[in-house]
Amino acid sequence: MSDKWLNRPDGMDSLAAALPSIDRALDRRINADPENLERGLAQLVLTIVELLRQLMERQALRRMDDGSLSDDEVERLGQTFMKLSERMRELREEFGLDEEDLNLNLGPLGNLL
Amino acid sequence: MIDLYAITDHPGPALPDATPLRLVARGSLAGVCGAAGAEEAVTPEGLWRHERIVEDLMQNRDVLPVRYGTRFPDESAAGRVLEERGEQFAAALDRVRGAVELAVRVISGPGVPPPADDEATAVGAGEVGAGTAYLRARQREKAASSEAANVVHQPLSAVARDHVTGPGTLPGELLRAAYLVSADAVATFTATVGRLQVEHRGLLITCTGPWPAYSFAQR
Amino acid sequence: MTTVAEQDVALIDLIDRLLGGGVVIFGDITLAVADVDLVYVGLRALIASVATAREKNMLPEMGDAL
Repeated sequence: MSDKWLNRPDGMDSLAAALPSIDRALDRRINADPENLERGLAQLVLTIVELLRQLMERQALRRMDDGSLSDDEVERLGQTFMKLSERMRELREEFGLDEEDLNLNLGPLGNLL
Repeated sequence: MIDLYAITDHPGPALPDATPLRLVARGSLAGVCGAAGAEEAVTPEGLWRHERIVEDLMQNRDVLPVRYGTRFPDESAAGRVLEERGEQFAAALDRVRGAVELAVRVISGPGVPPPADDEATAVGAGEVGAGTAYLRARQREKAASSEAANVVHQPLSAVARDHVTGPGTLPGELLRAAYLVSADAVATFTATVGRLQVEHRGLLITCTGPWPAYSFAQR
Repeated sequence: MTTVAEQDVALIDLIDRLLGGGVVIFGDITLAVADVDLVYVGLRALIASVATAREKNMLPEMGDAL
């Protein structure tokens, strides 16, 4: 297979540790076990929760940017988002899902997240 | 069982004599098919093999690539789909005609300190609460991501016919994009990537391709 | 000579395209692989199955999740 690289930046090896395993990248795309209802349902629900979490965080950042939040509000919101983010991580672990799993392919509309 | 690799114009250049591929023609379109292998598992080798076939086709014709694993019981089944969705496929083929896909990622370079460190120091020193530090870190990520989008994506999209962008999924990945680039603009595009990389040492810009227009086949 | 990181990034780019892009054809076809397109393909089947799953006590404990 001819080399597909058109721009090969220096320092790519620092990425090596961070890359997901190829098996994982393949597993995610392959519907090998359509009977795994529980995992599929968890994936769907957690994706929706993740969507909401991202939307809320984005909204908070926008309000921070335009200065319409008090310092106290920023701190309290930040704490809530931290806890939510941590809880999401725990739930994902519980169901054996990683960040990339929490997405929906909407066909021509691309991915949800 | 047959696998469908790509959809192309009909009539078109003949397939090479020794090819295991067959054309299933319906009207002005043809599906390029091959006998399905016995192996069901998806492996990197299998993916590259499939890709090589589609890229060989790309050498002398326009192709609309089909998702990997699209399998039919026989040629007439494949032909039926070409008839039913012929108009849609023809429109998609026109959109990608004479163009290839180039994949770009913008990753925050190893020299840039991760925001978390700065924030952690500030929290440790009692300057800001943990919640505030968290949101400030998110702000910095958002700003870095927008900056990457502006400095890298804008000039590249100017050279491309179309694009698809999204947030990165790897740590530090600020942008992941696919560009539909006319064949005669690929050199300009690649040169632009090179120039942007030199101008922005704090970013890692990867570019792979040319790929068949997978990300633009169903838009 | 490409490094492991370079091979992997190129392979991930390939996987994203071959298994996430391209023309998608559903229907009377045997798919060797199928994207987990819950919205497009499986969602109807998934919702229909939920009632059955609940009966059989198969659903995860989501009650106090948040």
